[in-house]
This record gives sequence, structure tokens and C-alpha cells, in this order.
Amino acid sequence: MPRKDWIYVIDDAKMPEGGMVPVYPLGINILMARVNGKVYALEGRCAHMGCPLFNGMLEGTVLTCPCHDWRFNIQTGEFLDASELRLKVYQTRTEDGKLFVCLGQTEGL
Amino acid sequence: MNVESRKKALRYFFDKVVGPLGYKFTPDGDLMDFLLEQEVMLERKHGIPFCPCQPLSHDRLRDMKIVCPCIPFHRKHFDAIRRCWCGLFVHKDVTNPDSLPQIPLSEVGLE
Amino acid sequence: MKKVSMYTLSTCPWCRKTKKFFTEHNIPFDFIDYDLADEATQKRIMQELDANGANGFPFVRIDEEVIVGYNPGRYAKLMGIGGAA
Repeated sequence: MPRKDWIYVIDDAKMPEGGMVPVYPLGINILMARVNGKVYALEGRCAHMGCPLFNGMLEGTVLTCPCHDWRFNIQTGEFLDASELRLKVYQTRTEDGKLFVCLGQTEGL
Repeated sequence: MNVESRKKALRYFFDKVVGPLGYKFTPDGDLMDFLLEQEVMLERKHGIPFCPCQPLSHDRLRDMKIVCPCIPFHRKHFDAIRRCWCGLFVHKDVTNPDSLPQIPLSEVGLE
Repeated sequence: MKKVSMYTLSTCPWCRKTKKFFTEHNIPFDFIDYDLADEATQKRIMQELDANGANGFPFVRIDEEVIVGYNPGRYAKLMGIGGAA
């Protein structure tokens, strides 16, 4: 059975509404964002030239990269000007006030 | 970072962007080398690798649409002429980039 | 002879080819490298580009005719030169 690998990244209380926080579980650069109460986790570097996205601007569910204004939908990771390009999106869940992201799946025993 | 290293870095970044869009670097090695070098110099001057063949207007909204690779912002135009304006990128099936004229948007019949 | 003028970029290989074309055909021309021009000149050129629907360089004017993009065939035709490059 495949088993999802969930990893703790941040306390839920530290994620402000409309805010973004970079986290680095196992060294992976992930951007956490909360919009309308829901938490999203996506690749923390721009698909264009790898700029860190946490300094970008979040308007609703649209994230604009601070370097060259590339815009992404944080729900899907999709680049708004060419849907072939996207940021990786991670599943999230909350447990006992702690936020976890799913980094992938491993084959269980 | 020296010019050659930065050219390599830009190639690495741009390759990942243009592939999914159906484009590749021009097979004209001299042209590619020249254009990448110009972009490195533009990046040194402005902090951003702008297209070497399009004008900077100093209006951020407009200028961000000519940051290389600018294909996403000129998709219909470039798909029609099978190359980007400066010619750094061509459609994946293009083998002879010299056969692709530089046709302005106003003449490709999209407007 | 027809009057040839052009707006170009010092960073653009197609602009260099355009200048080379006219030089090789011994046709005198005026040019301004947009990126090396002062702010007021850039603003004026940008307005002219926009007015002509030009998205990029080279921007060549042969008498009243405007050619956007490197197009040796059209240069030759307008200049009455045989065997376009």
C-alpha cells in the first residue's frame, strides 16, 4: 500500500490570513500561504528563474513573483500566462494545531 | 559571476521554461551565443535579462513582458512566426532558423 | 536616392544585419540606437513605434515606407536593388 509522507512544517497559529511563510522540510523550499482560512503549500521558487516567492505579492489566490512579475494560481500552481508551466503544489493537513505537508508517497510494507 | 557562467545559468533556466511551451534554443549556435551574451550584459545593466531586440519603455508592467523568455506574453505572435522576436528560440520542429523571417505582429494577421 | 533612416538597438543582431545590408549596398542612412539615446529621444521613438504598431527593432524607414524587423528582401525591393540578400 502506498503511504503518504506527511511532515510537520509550522504551527497553524503562525500562518496569518493573507500571509505567506517559507518553510524548508528536508531542505525542500516550500511556500505556505493562507487565503480565506485555507492553507496552501507550493514550490517556493519561481518557474521562470528560480526567484524566492515568499517576497512576492499575494492578491486573493494569485501570487506575483517579486523578480519579474510572473503570476501563479496558488491553488493549482498554474502560471497564469501559460498553463503548461506550473509550480508544484503539495497537499496540506492540520492536526492538533500543527500544519503538515505531503512531500510524496512511499511504498508501504 | 563571469559572463560565460551566467550564460550557462540563463540557458539552464530558459530551457526549462521554453520546452513545455513547444520551443527550443535556436540551432544557430553563433546567434544563440551572441543573444545570451547581450542578455547577460542587459542583466548587469538593469538587473533583468530583457530581450535584446525589443525596447524598454521604463513602464514596469510593459517591460516585464519583454523579459526573456518572453514567449508566454507574445504567444500568438511567436507561434505564427515560429520563433521569438530576437530569434533565441524557435519552434521545436524548426531546423533552419534562417528560413523564418522576422514578421512584426502588425503583419501576421492576428489583430 | 531614397532617404533611409532607422531606429535600432546596440544589442540586437538583426539591427546589425540591417546596418550591414545598407552599408554593403553603399546606401547612406541615419540611425539612432534606442538604448543609447537620451530619455527624451527614447520617449519620442517609443511613440513612433507605437503609432506604427512596431513591437521591436529594427525599425527602418525608406522615404515614407516603414519596415519593422530585418527584411532584406523588402529593403532591396524598395531601393530598387536586384538579388536581395
